[in-house]
Amino acid sequence: MTAIEIQNLSKLYRRPHLRATSLKEAMLGVLRGQRGHDEFWALRDVSFSVEPGEAVGLIGANGSGKSTMLGIIARVLKPTGGTVAVRGRVCPLLELGTGFHPDLSGRENVFLNASLLGLSHRETAARYRDIVSFAELRDFMEAPVKSYSTGMVIRLAFSVAAHMDPEIMLIDEVLGVGDEHFQHKSFARLHELKEQGKTIFVVSHNLESVKLFCKRAIWLDSGRLVGDGEVSKVVADYRAAVAVYERSLAEANARNAAAC
Amino acid sequence: MQYSPVRPRLLARGEGRREAPEIDPLLSPVVYLLRESRQNHPMTEFLEVVRYREVLWNLVRRNLKVRYKNSVLGFAWSLLNPLMQIGVWYFVFKILFQHGEANFMPFLVIGFLPWLFFSQTVMDSTACVTQEMALVKKAYFPRTILPLSSLISNLIHLALAFVVVFGLFAIWGVDVNIHYLWVIPATILVAIFAYGLSALLAAWSVFYADVKFIVGNLIGLWFFLTPVLYPLSQVLNKTIEQPGNWLESLLKEKLPLLKQLFLLDPISIAVEGYRSALLHGGENFIRVAAGPELTAAQAAALQASLRQEYPLLPYVIGAVAISVATAIIGQIVFRRKADYFAEQG
Repeated sequence: MTAIEIQNLSKLYRRPHLRATSLKEAMLGVLRGQRGHDEFWALRDVSFSVEPGEAVGLIGANGSGKSTMLGIIARVLKPTGGTVAVRGRVCPLLELGTGFHPDLSGRENVFLNASLLGLSHRETAARYRDIVSFAELRDFMEAPVKSYSTGMVIRLAFSVAAHMDPEIMLIDEVLGVGDEHFQHKSFARLHELKEQGKTIFVVSHNLESVKLFCKRAIWLDSGRLVGDGEVSKVVADYRAAVAVYERSLAEANARNAAAC
Repeated sequence: MQYSPVRPRLLARGEGRREAPEIDPLLSPVVYLLRESRQNHPMTEFLEVVRYREVLWNLVRRNLKVRYKNSVLGFAWSLLNPLMQIGVWYFVFKILFQHGEANFMPFLVIGFLPWLFFSQTVMDSTACVTQEMALVKKAYFPRTILPLSSLISNLIHLALAFVVVFGLFAIWGVDVNIHYLWVIPATILVAIFAYGLSALLAAWSVFYADVKFIVGNLIGLWFFLTPVLYPLSQVLNKTIEQPGNWLESLLKEKLPLLKQLFLLDPISIAVEGYRSALLHGGENFIRVAAGPELTAAQAAALQASLRQEYPLLPYVIGAVAISVATAIIGQIVFRRKADYFAEQG
């Protein structure tokens, strides 16, 4: 049984030509005959599956569809085509924002966030001490989150997610959060989760940490799956492609310079 | 390595479904399957809301807490607010305008309760999704929870306002009776209607910020079109003898229709229903009070003829139908738009 099974997944974003942000603009746009949308395929016909207990790194350039992929697996976004089957409780840690409410205390936010991630009040209460001590925020839990520093917010968010006991964890660019000490700690915690047989899906630009953490990597390029397999091989392929691209850029620049 | 962009073909409806992976629901507590552009059954959404009820309670609790953030008195404002509002009415009508009628204050206060609940819910709805974008983009939960949580928060505020009103009742010496229970169906009627409108407006306001401003102004107009400051019978008894301008002649022509619309407005029904329940022992809504211009006998005759002309039951049924239809349409639109909330902004 697979944990995540993705078949022919496509995602199309439609953006209005003129980004109409009000009714007036939209109506004027219609009057001027400027209807229609820019279409942008963030994912094109991607298929793969992830076994339970696997740690998979998702790599690729900016805008290659990595975050869209995680968003769809987390059910935040809806696929345009294809199917996604997910078995197990998913705990998404998408981007660095956390969904914390600035006016509520750290404690209240922990309970709100945990309920969003599918934990009951009682389950959260049982883990509350662990969450707080992991985030090292014991003295700040009753203060409103707006008084926290960025690092504190991220530590708390990571700590909540890391104690959810999900079957599947989705992590978007949050591997290197916080200071050096907390990075080590969060990395150790993820290793622990991996040992426990959790499925972990990581998006990162930090290729070294992906290599360290995952056995398998999936490489997306402008929304298509171009590499899937052993992590060191896929990372090497990706780096080679980047090198080719950079060389062609340099050559083009050189030509332009010569032409001038 | 070169990658030429290929436009992927969209799967036709039903295509690819055969190969859809099989799911063993016993294997794990949470299993889901997403397919292209398919709407879930409405029942699934309901079950999802039940499953995510903790999120709902947490959001309601947070709404209540955050409403009076940074205020010294905090939650006490939930009681003070309606009390002060009543104080303002008292000043304006009793002291400034010297409104003579003895029962005017209870009349006003009771009629104001359902209106306040309705208008607050609808006003809050334009922000209920846009304010939660941080949550919407980070995690899945049935989006229906957002308008639902603002509805429930406002129901709690209504309940607190009732505490104030019953306190005033003790002062006014109004007796408690079984007809008070009519308040419950009247509240349910407004709640259903308010939910439908808020779901609709919440969905639209994610994509168009203008909705908020339009709603603010329309609610202001709606207040005067609802019999809060005046009794319903005053509208039903209205005649325009000599139209002074085109607008008045148009009104004169459409007057019978407009009167019927007044009687079909769920908010009007609820406002008058509250008064019947709490002040008049569950009597018919259409009441004409004797005043300076009307003797008691004239008022009674007018009341009888209005009641004959406008039998309540069909209008109440109509208002219920309008409420339910609004809720269904609102929910359908909301669900349809909800799939794209996270892509916005």
